[in-house]
Amino acid sequence: MELNSQSTRLAKGACWMIRLRWLAIVVVVAGTYFSSNVLGISMQDFALYGIGVLLAIYNTTILLLLKHFTRGQIEPPTQAVKRIINFQMSTDLLILTVLLHYSGGIENPFVFYFIFHMIIASILLSVRESYLQVTFAVSLFGLLVLLEYIQLIPHHCLHGFVVHCLHRDGLYVFGTFFVFVTALYLVVYMASYVAVRLRRAEQAYKEANVQLQEKDRVKDEYVLRVTHDIKGHLAAIQGCLGVVVNKIVGSLNEEQSDLINRAHNRTRKVTYFIKALLRLTQMRLSNNLEMDSFSLKNTICDVVTAVETKAQSKSIALNCSIGPSVNEIFGNQLSIEEAITNLLFNAIKYTPINGTVEINAREQSNCVLVEIVDTGIGIPQGELSKVFDEFYRATNAKEVEKDGTGLGLSIVKQIIERHNGKISVDSQEGIGTKFCFTLPKTSCSKV
Amino acid sequence: MEKAKVVIVDDDLDLTKALQIVLESEQYAVVTASDRAGGMEKIKSEKPDLIILDVMMSTWQDGFEMARELKQDSQSKDIPILILTAVKDRTGISFKSAAGDPVWLPVDDFLDKPVEPELLLSKVAELLSKSR
Repeated sequence: MELNSQSTRLAKGACWMIRLRWLAIVVVVAGTYFSSNVLGISMQDFALYGIGVLLAIYNTTILLLLKHFTRGQIEPPTQAVKRIINFQMSTDLLILTVLLHYSGGIENPFVFYFIFHMIIASILLSVRESYLQVTFAVSLFGLLVLLEYIQLIPHHCLHGFVVHCLHRDGLYVFGTFFVFVTALYLVVYMASYVAVRLRRAEQAYKEANVQLQEKDRVKDEYVLRVTHDIKGHLAAIQGCLGVVVNKIVGSLNEEQSDLINRAHNRTRKVTYFIKALLRLTQMRLSNNLEMDSFSLKNTICDVVTAVETKAQSKSIALNCSIGPSVNEIFGNQLSIEEAITNLLFNAIKYTPINGTVEINAREQSNCVLVEIVDTGIGIPQGELSKVFDEFYRATNAKEVEKDGTGLGLSIVKQIIERHNGKISVDSQEGIGTKFCFTLPKTSCSKV
Repeated sequence: MEKAKVVIVDDDLDLTKALQIVLESEQYAVVTASDRAGGMEKIKSEKPDLIILDVMMSTWQDGFEMARELKQDSQSKDIPILILTAVKDRTGISFKSAAGDPVWLPVDDFLDKPVEPELLLSKVAELLSKSR
């Protein structure tokens, strides 16, 4: 779930109001036309169409104003956006009152459309501001009803909709106004109650999320510390065993040599695992990756050359196809090299003798798309979503290769995502696997 | 030809012992030290042909600082330095691109721990042939 800051939430709310207002303009114009020309209700067409035009001009102005405040800013200024919302809300109430004045005043059932404004105010504004808005709405409508009642301003009766004018009917006016006032205040009370609870829940969620991230960081620090210390000891063990295995200190009998070789091999496997775990943890903890322009084309060629011998040893055809426009990209060359090496080694490892492994790179809009396709054992459909998980190994992969860290693809995913790229996998068991990843060509591009 | 002399500075005594045996098997004269101060002293007195330096001793940057100090000293600045490290895992420093930077990391080459005997010997021979 994406967690927005208050200012972003308010800016989105302000945009939402603008979109709703375009809808309201259409309803005003179409409603006036329909009521007047189809239903034959007596309407102040000229004034109502004029209000529609004014609304359109006003909405465009608000839109430009909002764009001005939020342009190029990740975090728009909260107070400015809040002021725009309050201004919009108050102006809307004023316009709705004028609209009602030209369309029957208290006779017009659309008076209850004030409720929508009150709900929006409760969602976007503070409780205090919401009550101020409802009081303003009640005052405006109350003033309209009173002025029409005492005939200080003219009343535009909705002939065709009501049998006779109701603006002087004291009981009707009082009753409708009473329901209007109570409905508006009750709506604000209820909507604010829900909105406040939701805001509190969102805040608690945000805080919990921050705490979880911190705990995750502490856990990573711990893993880093422990694995680094283990690696130091392993390096010493492997160094000492290496001396014996290489017979530098003399020969051993066959049984002794076999046992030492076994110990040496196991140490190498543990060291490899610890190194992979360290690499992954280090990447998770590091916020920045040194980026520079480099040739992706050359990097791919280098990796292909490096894994060629491995492919040849299994008589696997290793094909490489790089589009003419693929060359310089912005990123960390060593990491990208590591990711491609990991994927190609995996493809070779899980492709049977005489199979095929391909690497293709081509431009795709402002990104480079790299595909690694093999005719290997594939990944079971049910396990595809888990292959990038840490320590996960597909069941058929374990049958082919008993030892494996289950960290290689997690590292690849981390590397690609650090470059604002995306990685995906498609596979059919027994047919083959295709890994695709995209990398932006420039630093500012997003995939 | 006189056999080359190598000083190993590493606080891991077990690893130092293994490295020493490997190098001595190829007739190198090996002198060891377990900390920065001892290492500086041995380098000054023994005047080695090559220095093998661990990055992380008492602090994670001990090896870096010692390498800088050695390269600033007129008596030791021409001695090739081979740095042994597992520090990349803790810091994310890319040694492949940093080794050879005369200001930031003034070492001639690096090897990631653990080091296989063959790799160590080939790297040592390579550095010595370059400097001679």
